[in-house]
Formats: sequence, structure tokens, C-alpha cells
Amino acid sequence: MSNTTSLDPSVRGSRGFLADIDRDLLAGLRAWPLWTMLGWNDIRQRYRRSVLGPFWITISMAIFITLLGVIYSHILNIGLKTYLPYLSLGYIIWGFISSTTAESFISFQESERIIRQIRLPYSIYVFRVVWRNFIVFLHTIVIFIPVAIMYDVRPGMIALLAIAGLVLVYINQAWVTLSLAILCTRYRDVQQIVATAIQIMLFATPIMWPVSALGPAVIIADINPLHHLIEVVRAPMLGEMPPILSWVAVVVCSIAGWTFAILLLRRAARRLVFWL
Amino acid sequence: MAEIVVENVTIQIPIYDIGASSLRKTILSKTVGGRFETSGSYLIVDALKDVSFEAHDGDRIALIGNNGSGKSTLLRLLSDVYPASSGRVKVVGEVSPMFDPMLGMSMDATGMENIWICGRLWGLSPAQVKNSVDEIAEFTELGDFLNVPVRTYSTGMLLRLAFAIATVRDPEILLLDEVVGVGDAEFFKKAFSRLQDVIHRSQILFLASHADDMLRQICNKALWLNQGNLVQYGEFESVLAAYRGRSKVTA
Repeated sequence: MSNTTSLDPSVRGSRGFLADIDRDLLAGLRAWPLWTMLGWNDIRQRYRRSVLGPFWITISMAIFITLLGVIYSHILNIGLKTYLPYLSLGYIIWGFISSTTAESFISFQESERIIRQIRLPYSIYVFRVVWRNFIVFLHTIVIFIPVAIMYDVRPGMIALLAIAGLVLVYINQAWVTLSLAILCTRYRDVQQIVATAIQIMLFATPIMWPVSALGPAVIIADINPLHHLIEVVRAPMLGEMPPILSWVAVVVCSIAGWTFAILLLRRAARRLVFWL
Repeated sequence: MAEIVVENVTIQIPIYDIGASSLRKTILSKTVGGRFETSGSYLIVDALKDVSFEAHDGDRIALIGNNGSGKSTLLRLLSDVYPASSGRVKVVGEVSPMFDPMLGMSMDATGMENIWICGRLWGLSPAQVKNSVDEIAEFTELGDFLNVPVRTYSTGMLLRLAFAIATVRDPEILLLDEVVGVGDAEFFKKAFSRLQDVIHRSQILFLASHADDMLRQICNKALWLNQGNLVQYGEFESVLAAYRGRSKVTA
């Protein structure tokens, strides 16, 4: 049994396949017309024949935020003027983070027929999931507009920083989705663990309550990367500069996470098709 | 010029979720012929064992063998879906697999939307899809039905559409698995001639099928697999005769 490696790109030994994996992410990015199309189609499928389409998510989230906002502003004794903009932004950004995480499990499984038949970069299926959830995010972030008008939120130019924050969140969620997609395809129990974690983190992260409510226990927010992910988008839109700690945490998290995801993909890629 | 060189390729497929169920192991090893070995918590099947062969321009290769003999595994090796566990594969030319014509079909999308989605998945450029829309419409005879969701189609209409999209291509190396019957008899004739057109445009063809008559019309070589081993590879009639002869003896 020879394991010859060759510089000839047409030769695919067991090693040649690995070299392909190094190019997987780049090839996946270059195939953006394909995954953006598939992502859009997923959304269209989901809301086919419904009059309001994806705006159902907008409506249900708007109701949730209004109801929760009114009740919790009393519980926490914070005025609606401060609380509602804070809650709506936090919860909408959380929606993007939690839905990409939750759908990461099925990234490869929903595309099983394609994966078993044609060789496309594995990253395509992951980018598709992140993209379609970003489309959903764009449908929900509009809720903030009436809230901002109603409570006279004027963030000013600093709001532009939210775009940088959002790009970082997107990049970060891409590695989370890729890693979890691989792990969940191999170990089906990971899905249950992560699903539970998502539920818990909604309450353990400053989304429905302000960081200040922690008092001296602020470390609970500081060590939570999800808090920083939300903060780099939420704070600028409320007219505040996110703390340096948040920027650093998000950047470090993205770099470390992508390193982990790439190593994982390299290890897994040769067997991934057999795990489906 | 297209070329395929496969040298000493073995493909080991791990099967998970077997757990400690020795009963299932026993059943599996009986049905697929004892090619299983256990490794930790999963089984390993040798789907291909030390297979070597070459294919060149003009080769029309029939893959023959019983169910589970490794035909589909070989096609997936050539399409780069399965990596070789050991050995070496050299492929010169663009590989174009067509195992399941329904690939990528979304039932709630319209026929036209599916032409775009499936066409792009099969690797066509937007320009190619655009140029082939009229031709697909004409071939499928679907007319205005292209603008309604394919969920409303009959099975025959759906297959016609899927088949028409899947056969828009200029393959260098074409891989076909069990070409399905397409709709009624009249349409099957039309579909078969369209398939032959695609085959003519290809330089190398692999066709896995149990239909001897169809293989005879298309193929000039045959590759006989049995339990992951390459038994015989060569001129079509002689390999097929050997395969049929042996099958008769064992039957």
C-alpha cells in the first residue's frame, strides 16, 4: 500500500485529501453565491405561503420584548426609557447568537444528500446556516427602530461602531457553528449539552438585566464571552463606547476559536462523510 | 484528455452507533459477507480492498457486481466524496457525478427556482443556467407548470424536471449510478437519448447498473466488483459473461 505524495494536483492519495481541506475554507468563501442562494432559499421555504413571511419572527419577538420589558422594568425598578432599548437590542443580538448555535447541529445533516454525492467545500454548509440566521437577524433588528423613536435614543456617530461589532459577532458565530457542526455530527450527545447551555446562558448573561445589577459581582459578566459579544453591538447603538475589555475579548475569542475550528476541520474532514 | 489511475486503493468505512449490540454485528456480517472488523465502539467495513485499475479517453466502463459489492463506493471515491484510506488516486479531468437526479430539489420551490438551485449545485454558472432554461422547459414539456411549486407535480413530472436539470452538463468524466426509469415509456425513450447525448460528450464514463441491456448499448468495458475486491476488468462482453457465469453457478 503506497502512500505516495506528489506535487501533481490531480493525485489524491490519503494525503492529497488533507491538502484539499486546507483549501476548504477559502473555496467555501469563494462559493458565496452558492451559500447565499441556499440560505435565502431556506428562508423562503420556511415561510412559503405565509402572508407575513419572515416578519412573523419580528412580530413574535416584538411581543416578547414588549411584554417582558413592561414586567421586568417593574421587577428591576428601571424606567422603560432605559430598559426597553437595552432589552430589545440585547435580546435581538442574542437571537442571532443562539439560533446559529442551535442550527449548527444540523448544518451537515440537512445537507447529507448533497455531501454524499458531490464534493463541495464543507464550509459551504456552515456558511449557509450562519447566513440564513443573519437574514432573520436583519428582520428582527428593525424592532429597535420604533423603540429608539419612542424613547428618543440618539446614539450619534458612535452607532457606526456597531457595524464593526456586528462583523466580529458574525465571524465569531461562523467558527462556533463550524465547530459545533463537526462535533455534533460525530457525537450526537453534544447537541443536548449545547441546547441546555443555550437556555441557561440566556439567563446568566446580562440581556434581561443590566450589568450594574451584579454590583460587586461584576466578574460574572466579565468572564462571559457572550456578554462581550452582545456588548460590542448593543453599547454603540445605545450611544456608549463598549469597554476595551469587550473588544479584546471578542477579538481574542474569534482568533482562538477559528484556530480551534480549523484544527478540528482538518482532523475531522477525512471521516466527516462517514459520520452522517 | 481525461485519465484515471487508481493504485492499491482501500476504503475503510467506520460504522457508528452499533454500540455493544452483538446481535446487529452478527446480522450485518452475515448479510454483507463477513467483511467486518471491530475497532473500539464502531465497526469498520472494507468497502474497497486494494483496488487498482486505469481508465483513459473513450472508456465506457460498466460497474457490475451484487448489491454491496462496492460499486457506489468506487463512484464516491472517484467523485472525491470518500477519501482513500490507503493507496493513491490520480484523476485528470473534471469529474461530474450524477447519482441521484433529485439532488437539491426543494419541494416548496417552483420548477423555475429549482432549475436555479439545482443547476448551481450541479456546478453550472449563472450564465449556463440562464442559457439552459428554455431548453429544459422544452424538454420537460412542463410549460406554465414551471411557475408553480414542484410539490404539486406528479412523480413523472418531477423526475422529468430533475433529470433535465441534471443532464445539462459537459462532463469530462461522468459517473452514473443506477439510472432511474423516467416517467412513461415514451418519455423514457426521450430521456435515454438525452442521457446518451451527455454520455457522448463525456470522455470517460462509469455506469453502475444491473440492467445488462442498457450496459451493452453504452459500455465497451466492464469492471466487476465482489465484496470490495476487483475481480475482473476488461472488455465488456467477456467480463459480463464471466460475471453472469459465476452468478449462475453460485445461484
